[in-house]
Amino acid sequence: MTTVDTATPRHAAAPVPRKRKRRIGPISLSALTWVIAILFVFPLIWMVLTSFKQEADAYTDPPKLVFGPTLDQFAGVIDRGFLPYLANSAFVTVLVVLIVLIFAIPAAYALSIAPVKGTTNALGFFLSTKMLPIVAAIIPLYVISQNLKLLDNVWALVILYTSMNLPLAIWMMRSFFLEVPTEMMEAARVDGANLPTLLYKIILPVVAPGIAATALICVIFSWTEFFYAVNLTAARAGTVPVFLVGFITSEGLYWAQLAAAALLASLPVMIVGWIAQNHLVRGLSMGAVK
Amino acid sequence: MAEVVYADASRVYPGAHQVRAVDRLDLTVPDGEFLVLVGPSGSGKSTALRMCAGLEDVDEGAIRIGEREVTDLPPKDRDIAMVFQSYALYPHMTVADNMAFALRLRKMGKEEISTKVKEAAAMLDLTKYLDRKPKALSGGQRQRVAMGRAIVREPSVFLMDEPLSNLDAKLRVETRANIAQLQQRLGTTTIYVTHDQVEAMTMGDRVAVLKDGVLQQCASPRELYDRPANVFVAGFIGSPAMNLGTHPVTEAGVTLSGLTVPVPRGRLGGLSEVTFGVRPEALDLVSDGGFELSVKLVEELGADAYVHGELADGEKMVVRVDGRNPPRLGDQVRVGLRDTEEVHLFHPETGLRIP
Amino acid sequence: MTSSVLPSNVAAPATATPANKQASAKSAAWRRRLPLLPALIFTIVVTQIPFVLTVVYSFQSWNLVRPGSRHFVWLQNYVDVFVDSQFRTALLNTVLLTVFSVLVSMLLGLGLALLLDRKMIGRGVVRTLLITPFLILPAAGALLWKTTMFDPTYGLLNFVFGGNTDWLAEWPLTSVIAQIVWQWTPFMMLLILAGLQSQSKEVLEAAQVDGANRWRTFASITLPQLSRYLQLATLLGAIYIVNSFDAIFLMTQGGPGTASTNLPFYIYQRAFQGFDIGQSSAMGVVVVILTMIVATFALRLMFRTFSVTGGVK
Repeated sequence: MTTVDTATPRHAAAPVPRKRKRRIGPISLSALTWVIAILFVFPLIWMVLTSFKQEADAYTDPPKLVFGPTLDQFAGVIDRGFLPYLANSAFVTVLVVLIVLIFAIPAAYALSIAPVKGTTNALGFFLSTKMLPIVAAIIPLYVISQNLKLLDNVWALVILYTSMNLPLAIWMMRSFFLEVPTEMMEAARVDGANLPTLLYKIILPVVAPGIAATALICVIFSWTEFFYAVNLTAARAGTVPVFLVGFITSEGLYWAQLAAAALLASLPVMIVGWIAQNHLVRGLSMGAVK
Repeated sequence: MAEVVYADASRVYPGAHQVRAVDRLDLTVPDGEFLVLVGPSGSGKSTALRMCAGLEDVDEGAIRIGEREVTDLPPKDRDIAMVFQSYALYPHMTVADNMAFALRLRKMGKEEISTKVKEAAAMLDLTKYLDRKPKALSGGQRQRVAMGRAIVREPSVFLMDEPLSNLDAKLRVETRANIAQLQQRLGTTTIYVTHDQVEAMTMGDRVAVLKDGVLQQCASPRELYDRPANVFVAGFIGSPAMNLGTHPVTEAGVTLSGLTVPVPRGRLGGLSEVTFGVRPEALDLVSDGGFELSVKLVEELGADAYVHGELADGEKMVVRVDGRNPPRLGDQVRVGLRDTEEVHLFHPETGLRIP
Repeated sequence: MTSSVLPSNVAAPATATPANKQASAKSAAWRRRLPLLPALIFTIVVTQIPFVLTVVYSFQSWNLVRPGSRHFVWLQNYVDVFVDSQFRTALLNTVLLTVFSVLVSMLLGLGLALLLDRKMIGRGVVRTLLITPFLILPAAGALLWKTTMFDPTYGLLNFVFGGNTDWLAEWPLTSVIAQIVWQWTPFMMLLILAGLQSQSKEVLEAAQVDGANRWRTFASITLPQLSRYLQLATLLGAIYIVNSFDAIFLMTQGGPGTASTNLPFYIYQRAFQGFDIGQSSAMGVVVVILTMIVATFALRLMFRTFSVTGGVK
């Protein structure tokens, strides 16, 4: 439809297109961001490069950027028995995440949607458990583990990591629960849902991203935990950090192989983190909103 | 105080299918006028407002405020103030600070700022809320703070983007009147966006109707009501909407299911059919003559009643009748024109008004 | 099961006697506590038992090297802790480490978040790159920095800046701080980015219209909005960084001397190298008390800004 403007005269000329190319500023800012990002992760890039080098190429002065790549280092890492440690880490991490979620979700529910008296106290208590430096508890833990025959046993780690991750998991799940609209739950109640249905069919699907975020945080902190792993386990139940420590206690630093080991050790969590980035952001920021 | 001119201004979103959100808008708002931009969702009214504010790029054409061309200027250099639909108050600042923020940016003296803020607060009945933060205010109060923030700047132009849509109905009507009075008092040129045509008709000196980015008509409310420029405006303005339908043209005039409305041949210049419009207010129940209507629904509103019915050929019509004795569901009534002049004719293809 | 969403009086029993009502109200309250119990009991058992034991050991003079001489000395260990100059050094180092790591990583994180809070090509890729340091093993990160960055002969830092500074020997605490900052900046960045992206677009536009330039908008509008995110970041970061062990153990072993020894490492030294269980346990308890004092102040400060109620839904 053509326009009819009864009050003002029309301009008959063709429209004047405007070249609004003021975008030069932002392009250079983008370039700057890229440069900064590359610089920031340069140690990692170097690690990846080094892991493909022959040992001789790895520590040179000046550092070499061009070299003949090889997979020998990775093979060497695996030859040194990496895989069992990897399996242990995977086992521990998966179990910890499962158990933490099984404990944390009901607990968070009881602290948010169906609040109990003393909620603030409970929350405070959970938070306070993180105040004890993990180093200080090692002696009693060592003694207890010895008595319970849990030394060099993955279950010791599973139990410990669960207790370490529970406070944060409860905190995070609680803030996700607080986001579920009350009206949605009331509507379900009116529709006749009982508590299990309410929980599984209504609430959990809504907080599913929160569960993913919490799980991701648990994965990161369980996989990378160093102190207890190194002190309470050895060859049988050792996790990946224990394996890495082996590299500095042997006759010297094999840089290329160390890089390969570090890369392999970190790769699983890196991949999981990359894929679930958005959940990670959501999870980390949830606590802030509440 | 200044006039606002949209000179063939367009906003085009790039991409595979270029979307012309605002298409060659050509509009002059004289100094001191209250102009309402109205239209359905997606009509480009908010975009046009934001182009004037400097929050949307102008891809074609130009915008002038006063004598200045502001097309390339950032919002802060345009001497405009804006009231947002969501109010956009600064959540961590008190009401007083919210209103003073812009003035502080202009390095005004503390005394002067305080005076202006107090004046604006008095005008809007906000004086006792000056120390509160937005979250401690009701919706209506927040809306007034948003207005206060704009008033205190004493700009050349007020821009308002659906400022009343988040208020409840009663408050909306009250605030509508307050805004109109305020604008009259201050005399500032105002461009006001709304999707509610009743709001548009009651508040504007002139109303600009937009559809799909194109200006349909810009005229006084009376003009829009009496002489809509095309089918869209005819159907958009007026509540309930005008009855519109396309009917065949005969020697005698336009035929509507039995009733023939006389129209001089010359007017219709060779068309075999025409889009015919008549408002519910222009129809009446008659004892004979007219056309038959089968009553499907009666809306009783007290003084008036609106009868929704169907003609013999299935076409739907709405008729306004006296509310004291309306017909009942299922009745067959006869409907006639109050005045054969109160008929609107539009071209069946272009939709333009036939004068 | 009682309805936990609708008001509890909806589920009140029909029997009228006050005693009955009280009893069933009580049992209802216990049922509501039920979901909390597994987590609570588990945590209490796993954390408090070791803690209690630590306290018990702290009252004893117990050195593994001299078995059989284990006996209670009550507060003597604590006195020893306070006169121990190395403990004070470790405490100072811990404070410096935590404060600077948190501050610097927050500033860097803020800068990176601001850079990322715009539309740009490959924004997702850049973000992916930048979060990676947080995802790798801290142990791996520490070893990485030790070998590829800090090494006097082959390290990249010396390659770039020239010279052959032995960074870990000459600037031990600073080097550790650098490594920790590198690891934690992505965490800060993500939190702050979430805060930046949660801003209301219209509030920013209102500031634009009011005449604020980019700096003013950031200072007056964005920063106050961010403050709760910044506080959370500080709290979480501090909790974990105070306990830093990996970096020091793998890079400097607390040295040279005690230049880069922090409290966790010092406790470890006393327990695993000095075999002094009593002393190290006392230090652990002191650290707990200190942490709780600081945390209580910090939390009180934080919770004034945004209230944490006991869940109101």
